[in-house]
Amino acid sequence: MPDSKSNIGKILLTIGRIALAVIFIVAAYAKLKPQAPVPWSMGSMRVSLSMFAMQVDSYQLLPPAIVSPAAHFLPPFELFIGLWLLSGIALRYAALVTSLLLTVFFAVMVRSYFLGLEINCGCFGPGERLGPMTLLRDGSLLALAIAVTIGAFLLNRRRNATSPANTTEAPSLG
Amino acid sequence: MKTFGVKSAPITMEVFSDYQCPACRGFFENTLRYLINDYVASGKVYLIHRDFPLPMHSYSMDAARWANAAARIGRFETVDAALFDNQDKWTKDGSMEQYIAAALGPADFKRVQKLVAGCLTQTPGNTAAAQTNHTCELDTFIQQDVALGKQVPVNSTPTIVITYKGQRYPPMSGIFTWPIMKQYLDSLMSQ
Repeated sequence: MPDSKSNIGKILLTIGRIALAVIFIVAAYAKLKPQAPVPWSMGSMRVSLSMFAMQVDSYQLLPPAIVSPAAHFLPPFELFIGLWLLSGIALRYAALVTSLLLTVFFAVMVRSYFLGLEINCGCFGPGERLGPMTLLRDGSLLALAIAVTIGAFLLNRRRNATSPANTTEAPSLG
Repeated sequence: MKTFGVKSAPITMEVFSDYQCPACRGFFENTLRYLINDYVASGKVYLIHRDFPLPMHSYSMDAARWANAAARIGRFETVDAALFDNQDKWTKDGSMEQYIAAALGPADFKRVQKLVAGCLTQTPGNTAAAQTNHTCELDTFIQQDVALGKQVPVNSTPTIVITYKGQRYPPMSGIFTWPIMKQYLDSLMSQ
């Protein structure tokens, strides 16, 4: 019985991490893709990132000198996190970083919403208004990321406890 | 015409705005002024003001009527700036007329006043308001802008829509600082 419970846990963990991975990859793609019907190029990506910088700017949180570097860093970082989650390597750390990032996103969105800023979310590219539905969605994503983080840490602890050399770090997934 | 700059500019920017909306004022004062003085003046951007008076703002429609009347005599820029510059004063009681009069001067104010006569909502500050409630020609221009905004769709003000080389980019809402907007416009032109 404990084995079947553990297997269900592993399956849920895998589903959770793949769901998060896909969402992060889609979010990065939406920010990097050409925002008008033009072919992909370095120029089109520069435009997309500058457009994302406008959305970051509209949150009125960061000074202009920080907005642009932050906007150019975030989409590639989201892509990196998505691929990291997909790989399953050191899952507990990938999930922890994901949870921290989503906590920051969620806090910034809640702040902007309650300040009454009528802006675009910028979460999955331009055009999506920040509102209760985006807060609900990002809140759910954060809950999923926290669940995956806890699950990954628990799984790792159990693996270490059953491993003969339980003082060393498990090199495999999770 | 409620426009700034030359139509042949590579970038066309439409701004859907509400004269009573504080964010629109912030956007005008902190971003559009720089844009007008720099990229519009140098022929890089053609700026179009689109009225999108929100129903929750009781004086927005009247302000848009004044701006449209001023546009008929080629003084839109002056009234546009006067309305935003004095927004915190006239939004209390709708008394925008005095600020428009001061900005236009007596002769042009009289011409504009004639155009808005019969269009304005009855408020203590509006001496140009008539008792009649007939369909106002100026409202047609405002309604055309609102219809365009609904097509975008505009969900809040200010919302900007940028067209470059015939390609329309997705609308963006909120206040954007000039340095960041400048970077975006530069990236478009260097594409």
